[in-house]
Amino acid sequence: MKVVESLKIKEKVYIEKLNNGLTVMIIPKETTNKKFVIWGTHFGSVDNHFIVPSTNEEITLPDGVAHFLEHKMFEQENGVNSLDKLMALGVDPNAYTTNNHTAYYFECTSHFEEALDELMDYVQHPYFTNENVEKEKGIIGQEIKMYEDDPGWQLYMNALDCMYQNNPIKIDIAGTVESISKIDKEILYKSYETFYHPSNMVMVVCGNFKPEEILEEIKKRLVERKEQGEIERIYTQEEAKIHQKYKEVSMEVSIPLFAIGFKDKIGQKDIVKRNIAVEILLNMLIGKSSKLYQKLYSEGVLMTEPDISYDFSEQYAYALITGQSKNPKKIEEELKEEIKSQKEKFDVEQFERLKRKVYGDFVVEYNNISDISRMFLSDFFKGINSLEYIEQYTSVSVEYTKQILTEVFDENNKILSAVLPKG
Amino acid sequence: MSYQKITLKEGIYFHKIQTNKFKTNLFAIFLTVPITRENVTKNALTTTVLRRGTNKMPTQEEISKKLEEMYGAAFDCGIEKIGDNQSLKFYLEVVNNQFLPEKEDLVEMSLELLMDIVFHPLIENKQFKEEYVQGEKENLKQIIESKLDNKATYALESCIENMYEEKPYGLYKYGYVEDLQGITAKTLYEYYQGLIQSCQIDIFASGDFGAEKLERIVEKSFKEYKERKPNLVLKWEEKEEIKEPKKKIESKQISQGKLVIGLDVKTDKEEENYKTVVYNTVLGGGSNSKLFQNVREKESLAYTVSSSYARRKQNIFIRAGIEIENYDKALEIIKKQLQDMKEGNFSEEDLNNAKNLLLSTIENIPEEQDTEITYYFGQELAGTEDTIEMYQEKIKNVSKKDVVEVANKIQINTIYFLTNQGGQE
Repeated sequence: MKVVESLKIKEKVYIEKLNNGLTVMIIPKETTNKKFVIWGTHFGSVDNHFIVPSTNEEITLPDGVAHFLEHKMFEQENGVNSLDKLMALGVDPNAYTTNNHTAYYFECTSHFEEALDELMDYVQHPYFTNENVEKEKGIIGQEIKMYEDDPGWQLYMNALDCMYQNNPIKIDIAGTVESISKIDKEILYKSYETFYHPSNMVMVVCGNFKPEEILEEIKKRLVERKEQGEIERIYTQEEAKIHQKYKEVSMEVSIPLFAIGFKDKIGQKDIVKRNIAVEILLNMLIGKSSKLYQKLYSEGVLMTEPDISYDFSEQYAYALITGQSKNPKKIEEELKEEIKSQKEKFDVEQFERLKRKVYGDFVVEYNNISDISRMFLSDFFKGINSLEYIEQYTSVSVEYTKQILTEVFDENNKILSAVLPKG
Repeated sequence: MSYQKITLKEGIYFHKIQTNKFKTNLFAIFLTVPITRENVTKNALTTTVLRRGTNKMPTQEEISKKLEEMYGAAFDCGIEKIGDNQSLKFYLEVVNNQFLPEKEDLVEMSLELLMDIVFHPLIENKQFKEEYVQGEKENLKQIIESKLDNKATYALESCIENMYEEKPYGLYKYGYVEDLQGITAKTLYEYYQGLIQSCQIDIFASGDFGAEKLERIVEKSFKEYKERKPNLVLKWEEKEEIKEPKKKIESKQISQGKLVIGLDVKTDKEEENYKTVVYNTVLGGGSNSKLFQNVREKESLAYTVSSSYARRKQNIFIRAGIEIENYDKALEIIKKQLQDMKEGNFSEEDLNNAKNLLLSTIENIPEEQDTEITYYFGQELAGTEDTIEMYQEKIKNVSKKDVVEVANKIQINTIYFLTNQGGQE
């Protein structure tokens, strides 16, 4: 097994790629009584157009299949629902779908072996019938409606719509009531066979484990599968420029919500370093101690510090600032000025301070085995080992960060999405 | 892990939780008083004014810079209703010295900073800084007015308000816009001075640190403070018999209806609390619960349906997000579950599932720093000193007979529905 270690934060990860193609990552934690297992497939809402490796058939899926599949995986042929079975053991199971992956997990303090049995059993044994697929449409329909009423979600989707023209990241993860009506069991089986192949999956375990022992436990529960080649995914080519500068909707909110986005180039080699630099920059521009935040706060334009993030995959990359404000346009204008002034005279003292803060933010991620496991899984699908963030931290220099400031925080890449109160 | 409570003076306590499970140390200070219409808005406002500046660091900018230098130590504050009491809560989370890239000591600095924020605010002309109070009044007004933004919590709050009209528990924890007007920097400072002389003060330190130094800091800080009797409302209250549940239908622009049903548990003994915890889990905790299985899985009526237990008020709240036209059907199925519980129409397996779920939730308490602090604070308020193991033992001992007994002490108090169709019942 390959071992990657961080001496600074005293964490280690063991990595093994099995013969069937499955990657297993083990992060031992001696001080916890909890155990966490997450099993993910590189299949999310953006993967709606692909070529099946075994047959060379080209397939286009209705929107929402990855998420629909996630809902249906728990049902077993013998009538058992695995989610219920795990809950009954006092184990906390769940699953989620993002734009680039789907994951199934559980957390437990006892009954670990039975829980692992159940997880590995249901993920490897799909059972779809016309009847159980139809029934799910009602439940997912309710979930879609819940999102329709969620101003934060609408804000986010509109921000994406501003940045991207054709990118499948714009598709609602759950699909629409109309798109899911087209889903049937054949579509689900075909997607399952293609994407739930071990070579397209990774399992991360975290807890008080001995790496060799837990690896054996995993191996003996794996079902034999035929080899499969690389899945060819077909994505629409996206232009580098933004789709539109501004989008607003009215909903029942008392204070407007805003999202300011900066669309970034994709396929950057130094993505970890870039991510660290963007986080430092976002903190410098509008974080709690920034001149801009202090000003907007004292003027009552901002009530709390906005959420800041940098998100990326192979298909997209953007920096996003979201929050609540009675005057989103004002924030946009003031931010523009602040970026300009940092470009003219970069505040080195502020940079050093916020670099320390960003380090602390990374360390806090290691407080909880569920956060750790999810982070390693989601970074894996981006081609990253999470510990790189701790290791590359020191290499982020003033000069490098100044360069990223110019590249990413460009007025031409900027968009504004707003949710305004009705009436 | 070890937990120790030190009484500094009557009404002022230092709680030490020593644990090596985390990368961080967490410090917390809670100020607790009985909640009233007169003080609720002031409590909420005080919390946010305090974070604006201290005597040593008069601006938020300086505090933020200090926190950032401490590798992004995180300060947070909030306001919470606990039964008929209210707590002003302040937290500071900081990376443990041993995980820093260079050798530094952040432990004492962190506790001192948090103490400064809460007990040594910026004072100008014998009052809070005018500008801070005005700014925070405006912010608080916006928070109160944004109550409707989250429909699910709005529906729950509204149900509680209807159940407890004109009573302390029916108060909104952030207070009232009309009460804000009369508050000035001077009156708020006077209120604050009275508050810190009379409220219960709980200081928590959780993590891996040398505790002696911290004890000295805390002891020294409270030298000047008087002992106090905070008169918190902790008594188990009696529920009145309800013939016909209150019904309230409210209309807003939404696409999914939110149904909330408030239940009373008519128990007179606090020890029965554990039975109610199990009852609530069989009814609506998790995906094996009767509500989830019947309302969501069998009938596809809801995406979310669950129940939660407000221990200090002996209430259970059932919450469901449903299609608007399914109101009658959902209500009928939920009532059927309550009836089934009364008649013992649930299996030993249902009971064991619920207990397993609870036992693992309890086992998780020491795995999260803030959860562990909240647990010990709950023990403090209840006047009990149950360890995690004792708590688990009590859950294990609950029988089916006990749960049925609780079921027969349940009555529907209020049915609240947030819809998009006009109507008032």
